[in-house]
Parts: sequence; structure tokens; C-alpha cells
Amino acid sequence: MQSLTLRIIILISVGALAGLYLPWYVMGVQAGVLAFLLKFPIKTSFRTGFIAGFLLWALAAFWMNSNTPSALPERMANLLPLQGQVSLLYVVTGLIGGILLGFWSWAGARLR
Amino acid sequence: MKFIKSIFPLLLALLVTIGWDNSWGTLPPFGKLLSPFHGFWVNAEKASTEEISEENLDIPGLLKPVKVVYDEMAIPHIFAENDHDLYLAQGYITAKDRLWQMEFQTHFAGGRISEIVGEKGLASDQFQRRMGSVYGAEQSFEGMKQDPQAKVALEAYSDGINAYIASLSDRDLPLEYKLLNYKPEPWTPIKSALFLKNMSFVLASGTDDLKMTNILRQYGREVAEDLFPNYPFEESPIIPTGSPIDFKPVPIPAAPKDFIGLGSAMQTPEKDPNIGSNNWAVSGNKTVSGMPILANDPHLTLSLPSIWYQVQLVAPGVNVYGSTMPGTPNVITGFNKNIAWGVTNVGSDVLDWYQVKFKDAKKLEYWHDGQWKKTKLRIETFKIKGGKDFVDTVFFTHHGPVVYLSHEKAFKSNIPVGHALRWIAHEKSQELTTFYRLNRAKNYTDYTEALRYYSAPAQNFVFASNEGDIALWVNGKFPLKSKLQGKYLMDGTDAAADWKGFIPQSHNPHVKNPARGFVSSANQFSTDPSYPYYLGWQYAPSERGRRINERLTAMQKVTIDSLRGLQNDNYNIRARKLLPLLLRSVKSNDKALSEVKNWNLQNAPESIGATIFETWVINLQSFLWDDEFGADEKIPMNRPAIDRTIHLIEHEAQARWWDNVKTKNIKESMDQIIETSFKATLDTLAKQHGPMGPEWAWAKHKQTGVRHLIPGMDALSRLHIPIGGGGSIVNAATTKTGPSWRFIVELSKTGNPKGYGIYPGGQSGNPGSSHYDDLIDTWAKGELKPLLFMDTPNQSSNRIRKKLTLSN
Repeated sequence: MQSLTLRIIILISVGALAGLYLPWYVMGVQAGVLAFLLKFPIKTSFRTGFIAGFLLWALAAFWMNSNTPSALPERMANLLPLQGQVSLLYVVTGLIGGILLGFWSWAGARLR
Repeated sequence: MKFIKSIFPLLLALLVTIGWDNSWGTLPPFGKLLSPFHGFWVNAEKASTEEISEENLDIPGLLKPVKVVYDEMAIPHIFAENDHDLYLAQGYITAKDRLWQMEFQTHFAGGRISEIVGEKGLASDQFQRRMGSVYGAEQSFEGMKQDPQAKVALEAYSDGINAYIASLSDRDLPLEYKLLNYKPEPWTPIKSALFLKNMSFVLASGTDDLKMTNILRQYGREVAEDLFPNYPFEESPIIPTGSPIDFKPVPIPAAPKDFIGLGSAMQTPEKDPNIGSNNWAVSGNKTVSGMPILANDPHLTLSLPSIWYQVQLVAPGVNVYGSTMPGTPNVITGFNKNIAWGVTNVGSDVLDWYQVKFKDAKKLEYWHDGQWKKTKLRIETFKIKGGKDFVDTVFFTHHGPVVYLSHEKAFKSNIPVGHALRWIAHEKSQELTTFYRLNRAKNYTDYTEALRYYSAPAQNFVFASNEGDIALWVNGKFPLKSKLQGKYLMDGTDAAADWKGFIPQSHNPHVKNPARGFVSSANQFSTDPSYPYYLGWQYAPSERGRRINERLTAMQKVTIDSLRGLQNDNYNIRARKLLPLLLRSVKSNDKALSEVKNWNLQNAPESIGATIFETWVINLQSFLWDDEFGADEKIPMNRPAIDRTIHLIEHEAQARWWDNVKTKNIKESMDQIIETSFKATLDTLAKQHGPMGPEWAWAKHKQTGVRHLIPGMDALSRLHIPIGGGGSIVNAATTKTGPSWRFIVELSKTGNPKGYGIYPGGQSGNPGSSHYDDLIDTWAKGELKPLLFMDTPNQSSNRIRKKLTLSN
């Protein structure tokens, strides 16, 4: 039996590897494949994927910006437009990742 | 049912995946763009540190290793062992910082913007191609390839750019590709030609012929010639009056018969009066060091990424430093150990319109010189992002492309009348050879030799050498015309109206070592009317030129710093003459009136007087002329120039033009128009900024900004820059244009020139780099940066930040 936490950790780890080496959407697809193979419970599957995706994207973005600080995130936060709030930009980035992995995880669990 | 239930989440997952992988209208592809592993987050660049970093890169195609040393402004100093490698490296290194810009600008020039932005780019694209931009580039490319050295440079430069493009994975793409969701295509040498041709678009495509014809039709020749005179009342021409003429002029062709023509409802692009430049060179007998000093500041649209990219190019036979234009090899303006050169635009008339008479609606034949001649057809296909291809047929006469067709706007005739364009930018040309040779020039002879290859856009090439020479050639290919030929629309059926060859290059206006001890240009008239050839009737307003000449005449013991002061001069020479004339007419006793009365005539950033005066001039021009010259949108006309207005105020207080013809039964006087325009000025300013106060400051009103090349991208732009100046001011910073590259060089006998320069931008085109806009503040303050001129890549300097070795 896997715990919710373990499933999240698996999705984040495989997702990070996919993100580093494969096109962006594979981060979503891998969540679907894993949810299917590892028999994620349907009921919590979206939540699992969402939390994993949100954490993966938001934390990776935060890590990128801490490691290579630049004016770009602020510029992008003006462009999108988020009033130049970089913290909001992390949240939006996290939401995109969360929804992506959430749907795929749900889809994988559902297909079984 | 069960099937749908189990498939539903998958559909949702696919929907967001596909939805976020694509752009929708102006919405970017959110998934790709925001992914921390693929999107914009990856484009952030570490700021360089004092520690020198070293890196090796594999570049296919190099014959020998190339060393690149970056200084603290991220300016590359490129050291190669041969020309081929030098230009390959220049292409690679420039693309590394500016790839997106290079491709975007050449897409624009080639009429291909709709491939990136869709339908909304089509009008601009169609206009570009109707104007023959691609045709011109093809012609020019043929010319460039004839010079083997230029060919090597062009092809190696292209290979360098392609080597960089090939090294990019999707996640390394410059930010703008990610925002607009497309990928770079391979570079081709003809794109460099397109870029250079686009400079003709920027500098020499403004045209008044059709508007002047509308004026001719409305008011007759006498009025047209009176209000649009062929030499200004106040001028200080580039070639000083009385300079010797060292050639025997060739015969001038006979003038064609007077022709009035149909006029046009087309809004032709006007010359942007704010696009121009300053340059000058001061001879050693006026400088503290005893060596010549040269200064230049081209005024172009201020953009991010900047139109300029600084570089030092070193290889056997060349060591040159200066500004390049991303997209073309060589340094465009700069200096080497022996000489320095700079450019300003020449406002000569090198673009003319001919009214074409077609045989029938098929437009396959046109009437010329007593016979029907065949048009040539050029099919232009436009790929439109998210849409079907659009096909346009462009008809070419022997003059050039038919840009405007009457039936495309409301004209009555059934057989279309066309307006064909004769433009110098369509000629075969060898501009690259000029720059290749200038980069290596050692003296005045080399400089004049280099200029012989140059066609367009014509430039005032200022020159100084460490042999002590200063010179200026008004240089380019100029059509040999009869007086005023091409001021108005010409008769396309009349062979006498055709261009009849060109002025011999050695007869171009020029001056060397004049007695006054300096040469200068600021886009004003090239010569006074005694020059034997006709070059054009309308140049940029003379104010900057007059101010520069006035200052340089007065200045003694000139230094780099005193010339820097002149580049930043905010004195309003127009106000010196015009303001007292205007004040005579204003009776009201207003706080604003005393503000402008007590103004020190400096367009300083905090000046309120400057704001009032500049707005007043705009309103005055509009109140005086718009009732006659701006009344009918369908018949576009020009307003007479401010120089003519000043003359009218001074000498023609009773002229019919003062009366506003729109007010029946009232005859306005000059005083009334001037006073009304003053009151309107105060009303406009109060409406815009509230009651008179600090918000009326000139810089706040003028709002100089350096804007990203994608229109409306404020988040990637620098707005509200606190800088003074203005269009008719030496410090020519306006809302959107300004000194795009200021530099000053003092030559040295021993080959150690001292260069200083700045441009409003930064070396990197990446908004995620600290070098994206790091030079703007220094620029706004009117300061310059010392330019690092190196001899060898191993030279030590505390300004070096990064070293690259490029090898195959």
C-alpha cells in the first residue's frame, strides 16, 4: 500500500526527471502512466497529481529564481499581468503544473 | 456511459495539454512558457562577477580557433586569425545575444510578420513587398556577392548565425520565441541584404510627392512653391558656403514638362522628422590634445533590444571597434588605430512617384514614350499564422513597382491608375564593401575609396584620421535630376521625366580640412544652392545643424568631455527666434505666460517653459495651417514647415493663411491665431497634467521611452526616462526616438585611440540578463562609458569578465 505522500513523492521525482530531459507535457503524461500502473485510487488521484504538480512547478521555479536571480520573473509578472508580484507568479506556475498533473493522474487512475 | 466516464478525465488532460502547448490569439502557450524546466524561467542569466570565467565552445566551420573576450558591459572583443573566422564568430556571437531581434527585424523587412503574428501583420507585410523590399534586397545581394571579400564576410557571418541556431534546443530559445510560440529558421546571406535595405526604409522612404501634388491641385503652383520653398530661410549647410568645387559638373538633363497628375488619397508614410543624427569632427588645432576628435550620435527609434550591438573585431589587417547592426557583418560606425568615422542621414530625394497609365484593367501594358510597354509581374505569397496564404500580384514598370492602385481606394476611373515607385533602394549596391574597407582604412585615401561603393541610404560620412585630417562626404548614389524633378508626382508616360543616370560619385558634396577647423552634419541641407546639382528640396529642419555649428565655431580647447557636453546640449535655438515673436501677440497676463517668458530656453528635464513652448508650436502649426491643409482626410496634404511659419510671422502678418477659413464671416488676425493657440496650449496641458506645477516638467510631458520591438510589450520596455532634449534639439531625445548610439573618439599618433560611447539599451537581447538594459541610466544622465580597445586577447584588464574559445 502506498501512502498519499509516497505517491506525491514518486510523481515529483519522475516528473522532475521528465522535465529535465523531455518535452514539457511529458511531466503530465508520466503522472497519467504512473497513476495507471501504480493503481492510484480514483478518489484521491486528482488531489495527488495536483499537489505533486503544484509543488514540482512552484518549487522548481523558486529554485530556478534563487539559483539564477534576475529581473525576468518580475518582468513576466508584469506581462501576464500579475502587477509585478513574483510570489503570484510562483502560484500561477504551481497552478498550471498542478492542474496538468492532476488531470493526468486522474485520467490514468480512471482508465484502469 | 461507463466508457465516457472513464475517458472523461483523459479528455480533460489532453485538453489542457494541447491548450497550453499552443498560443491562442495573443495568449502565449502557458504550459511551455511557465514550465520551470522549459519556459521563461530557463532564460534567466547569472550576472557576471569580477572573477573571469572561461569557456570553450565547438563551432563547426571555423578554420582556426577564435578567442572572444567579454568586458564588464558584455561587449565582445573577437580575435580571429583570418577574415572568414572573424565574420563567422561575429555572426555566432551576435546571434548568441540577439538572435530573436535579427530574425524579427528581417522578417519585418521582408514582409513576413504575419507568419509570426497572423492576420494583423498583413497590411505592413503587403506594403513592404509592394515597396519592393525583397526585390531591392535581391538586387543588392547580387551586387554584394561581386566583391569576393564581402562575399566571404556575408557567408561566414551567416554560417556563424546558423551554428548558433543549430546549438539551441527548444528550452534554450530566446524568450520572445517562447512568448510568440515559434522557432528560428535557418539564416541566409540575403537576410543581411534585407536588413541593410530596411535601413533605406527607415531613413529614406519618407515621401511627400503625392501630398505635394494634392497641394498643387488645390492651390496651384505659385502657392505650393511659396509655402514649400526649396531652401530654408535659415540654414547652415553641411558643406560650408564657399567650399571649393574640385570637379567639372556633367550636363544636367532637361526638365520634363509641368505635370499635375491625379493626386492620391493614400496616406504615404512621411519622413519622421525625429529620425536623424548628429556628427562632427574637430581638427587638432582646436583640441587640447592637438589630435582630431570625432563624435556621432544617430537618432533612431529607441528600442529594446537596441538596434546597435558593440563589438571589437580583430584579425590580420583589421582591428576595429564600434557599433554593428545585428544582421550584418562589419562595424557600421566606429574607429580603428588610425581613423574614426560616423554617419548621419542625408535627406536627399531618392524616391519618386510616377503616375502610370495602364491600357486596361488587366494592367499588363502601360503607356510610356509613345508606346505600350509590358509590365512585369511579381507574385508575392504571404503565409499567415493560423490562416490561409494570401497572394498579391505586384506590377513592375521600368520605373519600379506599382505600389498604389487607384481602384484600391475610391477613384472614379474604371481603368486603374497606378503610382509606380522609382527608388534608389532598388539598385544593385555594395554597401558591405564600404564598411569592410572603412573597418580597415588607414587614411583619407582609404576612406574615400571605401565610400565609392556606397549607394543607399545616403549618409553624411564624417571622418577623422591620426594624420590630422578631418573630412565629410555627403555620400550615396544620387539620381541626376533637373531642378525640382520629383518634388511632385511625375508623368509616367513622359520619357523626359525618367531618371537620367546618376551624379558621378566624386561629385558628391564633400569637404576636407575646412578653415573653420571642424566639419559637421545634422541632416540639414547638404550644400547651399550654389552646388551644381539638384539633390532635393526638403531636408531636416536646420536647428540642430545651426546650433552645432554655432557651438563648434565658438569652442576652443576642445576635449572629449566638452564634445560630450555638446551631444547633450538642450538649448532650444528655435525658441530663441520664435518665442519673442510669439510673445508680441499674447496679451493675457497669466502665470504660465511669465513661466515661458522667463524660461532659459533649455529643454531641461524639469523645465516647464519647454513643455509650454513645444506644445505651443504644435498648436500654432495646427491652428494656422489645418483649416487649409488638414481639412480633408481624403486629400492628405502636408503643413508648411515651421521655418516657413516663422517667416510668415516675421514678414507676412497680413497673409491670407492667418484667417481660419472654417469660421464664416470672421477674419482672424495673426495675433488672434497666436493667442488662441497659446490658450489652447494651456488648456491641453491642464487637461493632461492638472494645474501648472511639477507635473508639467518637460521630461514628464515628453515621456521618452525605450520600447521592446513587439508593440505594446511595456513589461519588457523602459518607460518614463528622465531626459531632456527634443526633436529640434542637439540632444534629440523624443518620445520614441533619440540618440541611439553616442560615441566620441580622440585619435592618437601612436595608435591608441581613446573611445567613449553609450547606447540606450544593453548588449544582451535577453530580458533575463543584467545586460538587457544596463546602459540606459548612464545614457539618460548624458554620460559615456570608456570603450576598451584591446590589442591582444591575452591583454590583462580589470574590465574583463569572460573569455570564450571557439574552435571546430
